[in-house]
Amino acid sequence: MMPTVVEVQELTKRYGSFTAVDRVSFEVGRGEIFGYLGANGAGKSTTIKMLCGLAAPTSGRASVAGADIAREPERVKRSIGYMSQRFSLYLDLTVEENLRFFAGAYGLGGARRDRRVQAALELAGLTDRRGTLTSALPGGVRQRLALGSALLHEPPIVFLDEPTAGVDPEARRGFWRVIRDLASQGTTVFVTTHHLDEAEHCGRVGLMVDGKLVALDTPGGLKATHVPGALYAVELADSRKMRHELANWPGVVEVEPFGPRLHVRVQGELEDDGRLEHELKHHGHNDAVVSRVEPTLEDVFLALVGTGRQSKGAA
Amino acid sequence: MRLALTALIIKEFQQTFRDKRMVGVLVVVPLLQLVVLGYSVNLDVNHVPTLVADEDRSVQSRELVAGLVAGDAFDQVGELATGQAALGAFEHGLASIVIVVPKGFGERVKRGAPAAVQVLVDGSDSNRAIVAQNAATAYMLGRAVALAQERIAQVARQRGFVPQIRPLRVEPRLLYNPALDSAIFFVPGVAATLLLIVTLIVTAMGLAREKESGTLEQVLVTPLTPTTLILGKTLPYAAIGLVDLGLVLAAGSWLFGVPLRGPLVVVFAAGLLYLLATLGLGLFLAAVVRNQQQALMAAFFVLLPGMLLSGFVTPIENMPTWLQPVTALNPVRHFVEVLRAVLLKGASFSDLTSQFVALAGIGITLFGAASYTLRRRLG
Repeated sequence: MMPTVVEVQELTKRYGSFTAVDRVSFEVGRGEIFGYLGANGAGKSTTIKMLCGLAAPTSGRASVAGADIAREPERVKRSIGYMSQRFSLYLDLTVEENLRFFAGAYGLGGARRDRRVQAALELAGLTDRRGTLTSALPGGVRQRLALGSALLHEPPIVFLDEPTAGVDPEARRGFWRVIRDLASQGTTVFVTTHHLDEAEHCGRVGLMVDGKLVALDTPGGLKATHVPGALYAVELADSRKMRHELANWPGVVEVEPFGPRLHVRVQGELEDDGRLEHELKHHGHNDAVVSRVEPTLEDVFLALVGTGRQSKGAA
Repeated sequence: MRLALTALIIKEFQQTFRDKRMVGVLVVVPLLQLVVLGYSVNLDVNHVPTLVADEDRSVQSRELVAGLVAGDAFDQVGELATGQAALGAFEHGLASIVIVVPKGFGERVKRGAPAAVQVLVDGSDSNRAIVAQNAATAYMLGRAVALAQERIAQVARQRGFVPQIRPLRVEPRLLYNPALDSAIFFVPGVAATLLLIVTLIVTAMGLAREKESGTLEQVLVTPLTPTTLILGKTLPYAAIGLVDLGLVLAAGSWLFGVPLRGPLVVVFAAGLLYLLATLGLGLFLAAVVRNQQQALMAAFFVLLPGMLLSGFVTPIENMPTWLQPVTALNPVRHFVEVLRAVLLKGASFSDLTSQFVALAGIGITLFGAASYTLRRRLG
């Protein structure tokens, strides 16, 4: 196991009678991409804010890069980069003015500052637009600039709170490439998201529901635990009628309509390759086309919180 | 610490001077306000519109009225047939003062009998009314003394005496502002309030804006200490405030002939302590408000009493006794006193010990309390 850089024990935050984060415990290892998943208001941002020293925990404890967040917040701040959910660079300053200011705030000076500002400009792809007012940049570029700014002091850990919110898919993909590069160089990345597909990039994923950490594992592990068995996509003419019939077959765990097709989760003998298609044909469905599909984290999410929560912003 | 502070100060200046409106607020508005206030706030009471109801129409009554309106104080704007019409004239705003000379006035004066003149004053503008009333009364008393002297001299001559009349002579001489020029009196007050407005609003609004836009949060995750943040947020505006003070004093001297009789260093030393208080107030407001709108509201709650309880417009001696000690807590009051004393009287540090002690006390307390509150809020 990688050395632990974030250690959280029974961390709790209450606002009056509302418990935003409820006795959450986990550890994050060095160089890991740790995904923190959940609907809006599930307690993701509050957890990050506590770990960054922006909010004091009600109870429990946590340490970041070996420093206790309550006792040594200054040491914590030296070792972390933080990118907030909202774009929080100065819109009335130019790209370079922003970077030079934050470099100074991190105590960088002289040649090192120049070098790091240059690196951030390169990361954001803004080397030839350093004099542009930040307010004139499009959303995706702003996010990369904010990330570059959060990495100015080369922190061993970065906290990214919904870094891709409101960013187009192309820019999101680019953003994740940067995150993976960072992790491969040994930087620990703690990232919250409500894009379930993005969570697939993470080494491990913690799932927050109503302030509680309900599951924590690798994406594969989560699927194996919460979506056991094998998942098949079934295409056949009379899918609506077959949905109910299939649900009653022994070995069939779950049948969900998925567009014109049915997603059928099976366990036991039916898991074997070709077995489901064989059975369907045996029952007279000669037009049935069966293909194996990999479960997604969305299936995990639905299995854990039920379909009722889906409308709350997850997925 | 030094690097972070420098970065913060540079950033504040960059933001301030990027926003053209802010440059206006910090430089143009103070000068404009000085000009507007300097020219408009004029407490000199001159050319009071006067109506005369001369019911007597004698030589004596005409002399009395002619003497009254001869100077700058009273301008006769018309005549009334009788004193009865005076109320109507006030209601129509025709005059601020009505002189009624009753029938038989001249005859009584000739006889040496007691004679009365009625002076009616529109009291709706109390300050103006008091000045007009005093001027009219003084004139009438002078007139009475002159009449008495004439009469005594006349009687003396009839009896073969050479009259030796030496009435008490009052020789007022006004020091420091001999022309009683309101502008000279007001410029120090205007300078103090402008500095209050500029520094208070800019610091409170600046931090509130950072709270609102989320940039404050981004700054707070850096290792920048609260002390650095507070210094970085106040030093630039203290510098701008001192420049403003210089501008206002220069403009006051150029436009209104406000003198500088004492050492300038005293003014700026007091200015620095004063800014400590006003910036502290700004920080305090910033610590307790959530957004710019609240900051502006809160600033006005502070500005108004700050100005009114400073002795800038109303003399503190005229305030109710229970209120007077409260003004000792008002930094504006002490700074106005320093400015007036140095500019008009040529006072030095030694003459202003109590004001300096008060300013330092208030400044350190306010700034300290604000820093403490801000540290706790920013945690």
